[in-house]
Amino acid sequence: MELENRISKKALKVWRISGIIKSVIGWIIVAFVYFLMQFFHWLIWVTFIAGGLGLIFSFLDIYLFPLLRWKYWRYEVREEEIELQGGVIIKRRTLIPMVRVQHVDTVQGPIYRTYHLASVIVHTAATVHEIPALEEKEADRLRISISKLARVSDEDV
Amino acid sequence: MKMYKPKRLHPISILVSLGGKIKKLLFPLLAVLFFGQKGSDKAFISLIISLIVIFFSFFSSFISWFRFTYFFEDGELRMEHGVFIRKKRHIPFERIQSIDISQGVLQRMFGLVRVQMETAGGVLSDGAEAVLSAISKREAEFIQAGFSSFKKIGQMVAAPDSTPVYQITTGQLLLLSLTSGGVGVIISAMLAFLSQMDDMVPLRKIFGRVVYPTASSLLLVVSIAFLGLFVLWIVALIRTMLKYANFTVTKNDDDLVISQGLFEKRQITIPLNRIQAIRLSESFVRQLTGYASVFIESAGGTSVSSEGSSVVLLPMVKADKINSIIGPFLKDYQITSMFNPIPKRAMYRYIFKTWYIGIPIVILSLYFLKLWGLFSLIFLLGISIWAILKFKDAGWNIENQQLSIRYRLLIRHTLFMKKNKIQALKVHESYFQRKKNLATVDAFIKSGKGMSGGHVTDLDQKDIQDIFIWYAAKKEG
Repeated sequence: MELENRISKKALKVWRISGIIKSVIGWIIVAFVYFLMQFFHWLIWVTFIAGGLGLIFSFLDIYLFPLLRWKYWRYEVREEEIELQGGVIIKRRTLIPMVRVQHVDTVQGPIYRTYHLASVIVHTAATVHEIPALEEKEADRLRISISKLARVSDEDV
Repeated sequence: MKMYKPKRLHPISILVSLGGKIKKLLFPLLAVLFFGQKGSDKAFISLIISLIVIFFSFFSSFISWFRFTYFFEDGELRMEHGVFIRKKRHIPFERIQSIDISQGVLQRMFGLVRVQMETAGGVLSDGAEAVLSAISKREAEFIQAGFSSFKKIGQMVAAPDSTPVYQITTGQLLLLSLTSGGVGVIISAMLAFLSQMDDMVPLRKIFGRVVYPTASSLLLVVSIAFLGLFVLWIVALIRTMLKYANFTVTKNDDDLVISQGLFEKRQITIPLNRIQAIRLSESFVRQLTGYASVFIESAGGTSVSSEGSSVVLLPMVKADKINSIIGPFLKDYQITSMFNPIPKRAMYRYIFKTWYIGIPIVILSLYFLKLWGLFSLIFLLGISIWAILKFKDAGWNIENQQLSIRYRLLIRHTLFMKKNKIQALKVHESYFQRKKNLATVDAFIKSGKGMSGGHVTDLDQKDIQDIFIWYAAKKEG
């Protein structure tokens, strides 16, 4: 039983960009290790391990994880509840009844802004849930409709 | 009664706050004093440093006392504080979630009390919203009266309709003290044993030196260790006894009032409708004797209790008596012992999961300790039994509007939750779980400022579907 809505396909691009940023930082560290090892004539094979790890993580962060994460991310906002589904290695599925929703935010970082994306963040009294990388308009629409639905089914904590 | 004019706390609160600060600084100060030096003038310097630190603690305690005022107006508690930046905070009585009244030794000498109030808001600010560390009993009663019936502000209302719920018996107190801290003692015993390990086991051989322990020195070390443990145990026992002495629960209108303590008295008030879940905890020993501890998770829980944000409701009761004690006032909760087990195929996963850690330890200890390493097999057996217990205890049950889950960490927890108090439900499955058609379920509830909850690992996917459908179903209870 798959849920209806997917997040924006632009999420792939954004996640790849943040993957690249992460990898660049990683490779700077690798270069630093290489420099140290050369300079002090320490264990050369450490550089190879660091480089290998760098390659693997770059591949995962830039290619595989964004793809899988986008593929598995689904959500549905119904009158009575919000259902989220996601995860890369571990599949997760979350159910939040509308009555429990306290407030909703949309959040936009610098990368999201350039791509006109936004995240919707749903707060209950105890937990926080994020729907990442939605089209700006969709995020705004969702925020308004969730907060409306939540108000309809108001109840004490 | 001068309730409407801003005023300061009783000056004794300077000492109370100073005491708290010194308590926190005690170990660093001692470290500076005893280990920092080996010459007389250096000792002098560390003494000076300590004195300066203590002086500043006193000074800051004094200033914050001096700049803190409070008064009551319009059914609100109003406070002003802050040294450079003045902060004002108004707390309406009707917004107060729980009140915790305690009395330390210092407060007791002057007939004062410490009152701590929590409200539901303010996720960002941790801890209590308002603490009045030394006020008169009359004012405390005033706050409490305002809180339990905020419409009748101004008149002192004697607690109406108060029914006793539970009172600890001497036998229970004794049993509670004897069995509490049991785990701590065992762990410290193991640590003590491990730290002596290199004397008993020729560990030093690895490092090229040979040390043969003599029988008498070994005996001495062992007996000192046991004596130390015994003393620790006695101390823990006395502390528990003092803490839970006179433990009583009463129901006043729609509030639960828990009072406890011999020297350090405390009283906690929790409105019944703020209760989010009921938790049963059973340690090995208590489980054997058929006893359990009952906690309540409350939306206005106090963060000061050592058990986290949950509050002890019944520290020591026969598990089968719980329903008859709390049944009358927590009508919707069913303390059931009927649980649907998790499927048999999950047992191997429970066991293997502990072996991921256990097997490497066995291999390492066999490699390094040779024959002595065989003892690690006992450890492996121990954690395997623990895993089987975890498997056996894991279970769930749905009855009308209630989800009950049972799981074991080190001790066994049973959590009873109402559908309308569960904030969110989450299911996750790893690749290996998916292959076996299993998944883990997480239920979140609000507890104090944060969240709490429980999870059962490796439920059948079909059961999880049932729980999900139950939770999603429209009919609200």
